[in-house]
Amino acid sequence: METPATQDPARPLIELNALEKTYQAGGVLIHALRPTDLVIRRGTFVTVMGPSGSGKSTLLNLFGLLMRPTSGSYRLDGREVSRLDDDATSAVRCRLIGMVFQSFNLLSHLTILENVCVPMQYAGLSRGAMRQRGRDLLDQFGLAGRYGSRPTQLSGGQCQRVAIARSLANDPPVILADEPTGNLDERTGQEVMQIFQGLHAAGKTIIMVTHNPVYRKFATQMVTIHDGRATEE
Amino acid sequence: MRSLELALTVYASLTRHLVRSLLATLGIVLGIAAVVAMLAIGEGGRQEALRQIESQGVDNIILRSVKPTEGIVQQSSRSFTQRYGITQGDVDHVQGVFQNVRLIVPVMDVRRDIYQGQQTTDIKAVATIPAFLEVTRCRLVDRRSRFLTPTDGQVLDPVCVVGVKAARRLFGHLDPLGRNVVIGNVSFRVVGLFESPGGGRLGGQYELNNTVVMPLETARSLWGGITMRMGRGVAEQVDYDFLYVSARDVDAIPGTAGRLRTYLRAAHTQADYEVLVPYELMQSARKTRRIFTIVMTSIAAISLLVGGIGIMNIMLANIFERTREIGVRRALGARKRDILWQFLAESVLLTSIGGALGAGLGIGTSAAAEWFSKMGGDSGITAVVTPESLVVALAVSVATGITFGTHPAWKAAQLDPLTALRHE
Ligand SMILES: Nc1ncnc2c1ncn2[C@@H]1O[C@H](COP(=O)(O)OP(=O)(O)O)[C@@H](O)[C@H]1O
Ligand SMILES: [Mg+2]
Repeated sequence: METPATQDPARPLIELNALEKTYQAGGVLIHALRPTDLVIRRGTFVTVMGPSGSGKSTLLNLFGLLMRPTSGSYRLDGREVSRLDDDATSAVRCRLIGMVFQSFNLLSHLTILENVCVPMQYAGLSRGAMRQRGRDLLDQFGLAGRYGSRPTQLSGGQCQRVAIARSLANDPPVILADEPTGNLDERTGQEVMQIFQGLHAAGKTIIMVTHNPVYRKFATQMVTIHDGRATEE
Repeated sequence: MRSLELALTVYASLTRHLVRSLLATLGIVLGIAAVVAMLAIGEGGRQEALRQIESQGVDNIILRSVKPTEGIVQQSSRSFTQRYGITQGDVDHVQGVFQNVRLIVPVMDVRRDIYQGQQTTDIKAVATIPAFLEVTRCRLVDRRSRFLTPTDGQVLDPVCVVGVKAARRLFGHLDPLGRNVVIGNVSFRVVGLFESPGGGRLGGQYELNNTVVMPLETARSLWGGITMRMGRGVAEQVDYDFLYVSARDVDAIPGTAGRLRTYLRAAHTQADYEVLVPYELMQSARKTRRIFTIVMTSIAAISLLVGGIGIMNIMLANIFERTREIGVRRALGARKRDILWQFLAESVLLTSIGGALGAGLGIGTSAAAEWFSKMGGDSGITAVVTPESLVVALAVSVATGITFGTHPAWKAAQLDPLTALRHE
């Protein structure tokens, strides 16, 4: 069902063509995202900035296949993914996209190792393999020996590191992050940004919504949105 | 998701609200407990009834003499002797006319007390023929024992064969063989010891193990061709108290019983007999059991309906509380069916735990019921928990989980991922 990532460097990882999202709210048409063309190549670090309510999350949720566009096309790794059925959409989310949220979204009744393993469960990995990879990922983000901890026992920065580890579980080519430092203090935010920088250096494509203009320095491609209108700088 | 992972995921979710989850299964626990306990008591009753019936012999038809009710006594008792019951004429008729009959065994209650020292006992003395042992499904105990033989009747020896319970009463731990039993005013030598393995009753009346058996001819020679007892100024005359008619095979029973009833209706002017057909009792026991099953099923269905609705409610509440978890799982790649399976498995696990607890409670309840019913005396209800009933209990719990868990699980699977993810 999934086409394996064909690592053709010439082909863009993401191509948007007139992608549009509108809402009908109380008889009023809201243009959350006006028709947008955008090309994102492999290994790019994209920042998405704009005022509150401008449509940043809408764009990211479209990338993450958490909503369907009203019209237009979204090609991910050469394949039109905006009109797949629910199972195929789930498979793309599972294997090609990693997601990091502002509020971490860890499952509080599971250990952090189990949290990291969730995407691998849906990829059908064996228990042994997924736990091994889960431990490796946690080690990589400075959480060695904390495997059995619950999210409530960790600081915000640690939680976000677990969430980043989880987003990498199935080794997806693209990581989406919607204000990942929004719930963190300045210093912890810096640490998390350094992790993203490391991932970018390792070849991941990163698309990040952020409010903080300081973080522009990490970007290799910058998108700004105003009132649903996305422009590249 | 692999099934091991599914199981562990479900386990982790359940243990989060263990107390609440167990409370939610209370309806299932009670429903299954009721099912298991009632199945056990029903099965105990059925086995007991079957044992009773089978100990009478399914290929037997048993006639019993019954003293007619008062009104008829007045009319027919011009003389001082009241004559009723199975007659020699009846025996001769059956012997002469009936086909498909293998054995005919008349039994007479000698109506004499049996003494232990100076004390009378409740042991029954009856007179019969050698085939008695076979038709009553009894067997000899002790190698040296023998039963009555035709010769005993010819030589009119005062010999008897004693049931095991009677022997214990009369002789305690002493060897009964060769000792004497005083019946009426006559001393009988014990030549054998017998036992009814099923604890059967003679004609459904006297406990076989508590009887002493002597040859018919001996009884007649001692006390005359008839047995009599003075009671309220009227003497009774009864040829035979019981008549065992043993058919060649079970298939011949309905026809033979029918003909016998027809004959007896014509030959007897009063209702002074009763026809017992163990085979028919078995058929009606089956019918009773079917009614019992229907009642049982209704009770089970109602309690499981109530329990199932409880499960559905708790699962709906669960899913509402965990909307965000569902959103997260969907965002991380779960398909609709992964969510469906997760919550369906959770409700099935819940009802299965409820079922297991209920089965335990049911076993305990039936054991307690048995214990309480036997507290006063030696007889009471018997509870038999069969493996089948436990399988039924488990299957019913699983089915309840599926039935009432499907709707909540389906709702969970249909949630929009993004909406669920934004849920507070
Ligand atoms: N489910 C929805 N129904 C109606 N309007 C919505 C919905 N979701 C978002 N919007 C609107 O779309 C616009 C963009 O929202 P969003 O992408 O969340 O903005 P941002 O993330 O940049 O703050 C806003 O005007 C918001 O009110
Ligand atoms: Mg937003």
